[in-house]
Amino acid sequence: MTAPAAAYGKALDLITRVRGVRGAMLVSAEDGIVVAEQLMEGIKGPAVSALAASVATRLRRAMEAAGVGASLFWHLQAEHGALLVVPTPGGTLVVAVAEPDVNVGLVRLELLRAAEVVG
Amino acid sequence: MADEIKTLSSQLAQDPDSLVFLRLGELLRQKGQLDTAHRVAVTGLERHPHLPDAHDLYARILADKHDYERAFDEWDMALRIAPDHVGALKGLAFLYFKVGDVQQAAAHLEAAQRVAPDDPGVAQALAIARGEGAAAEPEPIAPAAQPIEEARVFAGLEGAQEGLLLLDASGRVLGGALKDPAGRDVTEAVAAYLAGVSQEAARTVKLLGLGKWTGLAAEGHLGHVHLAPPSSDALLLVVRDRAVPMGRLAIIAQRAALAARRWLEAHA
Amino acid sequence: MTTRAVETWTLEPLVKFVKEAGARLVLVMTSAGQVLAQHGFSRAVDVMSAAALGAAIMASTDEMARQLHQPPFAALNHQGERHGIFLAGLATPRGRLVALVVYDLDVSSLGLVQLFFEQLAADLQAASPKDSVPKQVLAADFERQLSDSLNTLFGR
Repeated sequence: MTAPAAAYGKALDLITRVRGVRGAMLVSAEDGIVVAEQLMEGIKGPAVSALAASVATRLRRAMEAAGVGASLFWHLQAEHGALLVVPTPGGTLVVAVAEPDVNVGLVRLELLRAAEVVG
Repeated sequence: MADEIKTLSSQLAQDPDSLVFLRLGELLRQKGQLDTAHRVAVTGLERHPHLPDAHDLYARILADKHDYERAFDEWDMALRIAPDHVGALKGLAFLYFKVGDVQQAAAHLEAAQRVAPDDPGVAQALAIARGEGAAAEPEPIAPAAQPIEEARVFAGLEGAQEGLLLLDASGRVLGGALKDPAGRDVTEAVAAYLAGVSQEAARTVKLLGLGKWTGLAAEGHLGHVHLAPPSSDALLLVVRDRAVPMGRLAIIAQRAALAARRWLEAHA
Repeated sequence: MTTRAVETWTLEPLVKFVKEAGARLVLVMTSAGQVLAQHGFSRAVDVMSAAALGAAIMASTDEMARQLHQPPFAALNHQGERHGIFLAGLATPRGRLVALVVYDLDVSSLGLVQLFFEQLAADLQAASPKDSVPKQVLAADFERQLSDSLNTLFGR
């Protein structure tokens, strides 16, 4: 059973409180549509959601082919920022947009916690 | 020595957080009881992950067990925590010396000498590295060398099944190979998917204004992967089972990318 | 698969959209169903059918919105098992246009199509001739114009 929408805000709150996180979102993995978001100004939610879902789909296929199983967490690193994502069993992606030097371990923990709430 | 091991074991059992594991692990290593030493070191590291001496101990044990790749990682980790750690500098120098990179070996030994100018072992090793005469062999850390990570990466690029794959921008395999846990060759299938992953990753960071992408690390149920672009038109994949932490995988991937870059330049 | 345009100013925006969104089939047409550009269709009859149906769907939903006292719906999406169909209107100096996009769910997604549709709309608006007034189509000219359009759209 998935959580009510009010719980999503709380789950995203915990992620965005981590220093270096510029935004957090829940994204429908199948169609790349925003389910819920808390983003700093300047971050384009629909773009993040569509592109994160697209990377997630391609990565899932590559990882299955490589025999490492379904993805539990992934971290796309770039010069000026990062995307950190945890897929949930229910087909949602919990996404954080962050600075490049963010504490990855901490963000990962909060993403996993949020994923438990979302279901 | 046996009495000391017994005493230290007892102390460690009474106080598992105690640092006596460092001395105990070293004594066990010297006695050749590598598996027991390994367990002591790993347990100690779990409790003291930021202690450079713990990483140094573990690295020495791994080197004795001929696991040079992981020994390299552990000494590297020790240096990240404590850049002047003499044991780590000596250890890395030894590994570089073993693969014939005398320049790197000498550089690490010189750094060790700056920190510990009175260490005779460092001075001897430096003399040998500089070819200055028949000094005694440096304190042996491990017997006959196997190629360590950098050389193995090249070997991987020449086709060894190392969980390492180098692709061009179109997804064609340049070197390395992959097998799934069932032992099936999945190189081509993975290569085809990876090209799409890297293109999408590049597009994503570009459209989101995040600059150039530098890596993609993923944790799976059965293993971890790390993707990196060693050059603008190549892609490197490193795959390891879940026993290898993602942080270590990132370090392995960095070095593999460096070796891949050199290989690409050499074969351009 | 090729991209062809009756009105050439639509070509470049459409090529860019197809590439970015990973669309399989695209029609850019007027609200009346007159096709300005297409991508991915191999048969004229398919273009005509798709254009007619797309225009009809838009007209029906516009009417529904009117009856609900709302502005026209921005976009419609129908999701099948393997494909999705996205229909949206966009304003240009040429008049209101409609884009019909069919996408493969294995290759693209609603999110990607929506994301790059916004860019397509902006590009078409920028590229549209500013001072053109849509010609009134006379019944006598209709069949000839349709035939000419189909020839252009299929590169004959």
